[in-house]
Amino acid sequence: MPSSIIKRDGKSAPFDSGKILNAVNKANKAVGEEEMSPTDLLFVTEKVCGRLEREGLKHVEEIQDVVEETLIRYGYARTAKAYILYRAEHAKIRNAETYLMDIYKKLTWSSALEEDIKRENANIDGDTAMGTMLKYGSEGSKFFIDNHILPKDVSAAHNNGDIHIHDKDFYMLTETCCQIDLIPLFRRGFSTGHGHLREPNSIESYSALACIAIQANQNEMHGGQSVPNFDYAMAQGVGKTFCQEYWKAFAAYVQVKEDGSEEEALALAGEMRVLAGEDIRMGAAEDFGRRLSAAAGAGRRPLLEKAHAYAVEKAGKATDRRTYQAMEAFIHNLNTMNSRAGAQVPFSSVNYGTDTSAEGRMVVRNLLLATQAGLGNGETSIFPVQIFKVKSGLNFQPGDPNHDLFQLAMATSARRLFPNFGFLDAPFNLRYYKPGDYDTEAAYMGCRTRVLGNIHDPERQTICGRGNLSFTSINLPRLGLEADGNLGAFFALLDERMDLVFRQLLHRFKIQSAKKVRNYPFLMGEGIWMDSGGLDWDDAIAGVLRHGTLSVGFIGLAEALKALTGAHHGESDEARNLGLRIIGHMRRRTDEESERTRLNFTLLATPAEGLSGRFVELDRRRYGLVPGVTDRDYYTNSFHIPVYFPLPAFRKIRLEAPYHALTNAGHITYVELDGDTCKNPEAFEAVIRCMHEQGVGYGSVNHPLDRDPVCGYVGVINGVCPRCGRKEGEGVSPEVLRALRRQYPDVPLWDG
Amino acid sequence: MLMDPQRETKTRQTRRIGEGVGFERTRRITGYLVGTLDRFNNAKRAEERDRVRHGV
Repeated sequence: MPSSIIKRDGKSAPFDSGKILNAVNKANKAVGEEEMSPTDLLFVTEKVCGRLEREGLKHVEEIQDVVEETLIRYGYARTAKAYILYRAEHAKIRNAETYLMDIYKKLTWSSALEEDIKRENANIDGDTAMGTMLKYGSEGSKFFIDNHILPKDVSAAHNNGDIHIHDKDFYMLTETCCQIDLIPLFRRGFSTGHGHLREPNSIESYSALACIAIQANQNEMHGGQSVPNFDYAMAQGVGKTFCQEYWKAFAAYVQVKEDGSEEEALALAGEMRVLAGEDIRMGAAEDFGRRLSAAAGAGRRPLLEKAHAYAVEKAGKATDRRTYQAMEAFIHNLNTMNSRAGAQVPFSSVNYGTDTSAEGRMVVRNLLLATQAGLGNGETSIFPVQIFKVKSGLNFQPGDPNHDLFQLAMATSARRLFPNFGFLDAPFNLRYYKPGDYDTEAAYMGCRTRVLGNIHDPERQTICGRGNLSFTSINLPRLGLEADGNLGAFFALLDERMDLVFRQLLHRFKIQSAKKVRNYPFLMGEGIWMDSGGLDWDDAIAGVLRHGTLSVGFIGLAEALKALTGAHHGESDEARNLGLRIIGHMRRRTDEESERTRLNFTLLATPAEGLSGRFVELDRRRYGLVPGVTDRDYYTNSFHIPVYFPLPAFRKIRLEAPYHALTNAGHITYVELDGDTCKNPEAFEAVIRCMHEQGVGYGSVNHPLDRDPVCGYVGVINGVCPRCGRKEGEGVSPEVLRALRRQYPDVPLWDG
Repeated sequence: MLMDPQRETKTRQTRRIGEGVGFERTRRITGYLVGTLDRFNNAKRAEERDRVRHGV
């Protein structure tokens, strides 16, 4: 018998034959037949020990080999098999633990610059303490989900790159996102879970509380947060501010004219406020003026009419100024306030452009102006994602009440990349639209999410209080490669993959459904999610979650078409038709699954930030370098024409538009313009009009947006800064900067 | 003490602002803007590099 063994880490340990006996016993028990008596166990153990001694074997792996062979040799085939499985299982666990610890080592000792894993999401700073803490949690959670929660085939499909379960680390915890209606929330005041806030009464408080609501909700969900009706919601704050400013100015005028005391003037203002009936509104000041005159006695009438005219003008200007500051603060806050323990700012989106009230228009105009101005030193703000809702009759056509705002939105986007444009006239959005009801105006969240149709409750196919529950994407290029040109095989594989994803989404939905209101003190406790207001603290959320969507996504249609036909949908008619057939088929399948389950299964044009590289890397390992398919470092986003393929903007829009109608969980089309074209308002507008005409649901224009932090120039910088003339890394003399500052007030102060 | 005019010119020339400071390049990645390409993951850096402009 050997005196010692060598363990896997190379260290030696005393030999213990009891361990062999126990392992064999365990394997035998697992079989349930081929029963071994204690004598049999001792016999096998002795045989093993004898051979180890004879052959001088000491390494733990060698010892296990001998155990296997001895069991087989003496007729315990089934026990041997169980022993092999047991051994493999332990190897897997050992490897997995090493794997997790290797990740933790990378997270701990490498910088984000070196390690891709720390740059999975570009808006999370992986180098900070909290960013790293978040990654420890996330990677540990993924390990747990893979090894203890997911059905084995689902976990394997995710890890081998057939599918991608997005936000897998949050599998046991929460849902993706929500479209927050601030109007009822503000009306009753709310608690963030850490303190109660009263109904706000000025545009400044409206803007601040909007940020707080977004932040509170973001910390309870794993995706971004959206305000679908920002103009309508903030308009109420503008209205309240206008009233305050009006009566303040009114009283001030009366006081000066009458040469009386402030108290007397305020008393008169208060009296008139009651007598005139409904309080003044910004867009109906004349009407109020008439009611005021009528309510005033003949003696006071001339004074009050003058006070009214003065106060309307004064209040209009003051409210406009305060609204600008509030919108500026809104943007600044959303780019600086923390979420997720400081690793991020909240991922936020705001939709606007359809409120034609004077108050709503004031909100949008000032938000756009503040966006154009940028953050301190003219930096471009990263959040919120802004979406201008384009609608004929409201803003799209010349003569529409908000046409000026549409024009301003395009000018802002040409300078700052935001806003994007959501098209309410696209047929699949228009079918839900009811004039005057913001809850029926299609809105988009973050990079593209759309939640509108509702099979669970067809009476409420509306926006507010709803969101996506979870989504999982399918690797389309792999199906193309596997099918090897055979379309029948491709569709069979696609169906198989979709069945797997349906099953997985339902598996996750079941976990989500078991959660209680108390798990979401803000989202559910404050009644933000549809119907959650009627639930008690300990009620399960299963019922109300059914208003959300379960989405099947896809990535790399272009590469799949390359693999199947040799061309992508920008290159041939055959590929174009096949592309629509594939995505049309997927949509039919999600619709059927919705019918079957009465849950909102929807089809998503996946954005896939972290995913685009992961799939292609796995496929390259499996299929090698396939031209047009695996020969770049990324797969093309959803149904997009590949970014490297040159074609005119209008043609790109025409080719991608039909996919918007099919992808009811969200979509976006981008056009890349060069700096000069972008500065040309007619060209920019022509692109947006083409999107509208072609039935695009959501679109935006990309253009290079560079900035020189030294002289503050914003625009395109190729090699040399067009303003101060420096190359990257070069210095500029203080004299030059001083001279530039006389010309351009936005040159940052460097030299005091 | 008299200032050495040559020396003063030299000091002025060497005092330069922004040495070592790069340009910022804001890009849209999926749907979100990112203030610097440094935070793009490798795949997205490659994608950004390959983008071609569309003519109008």
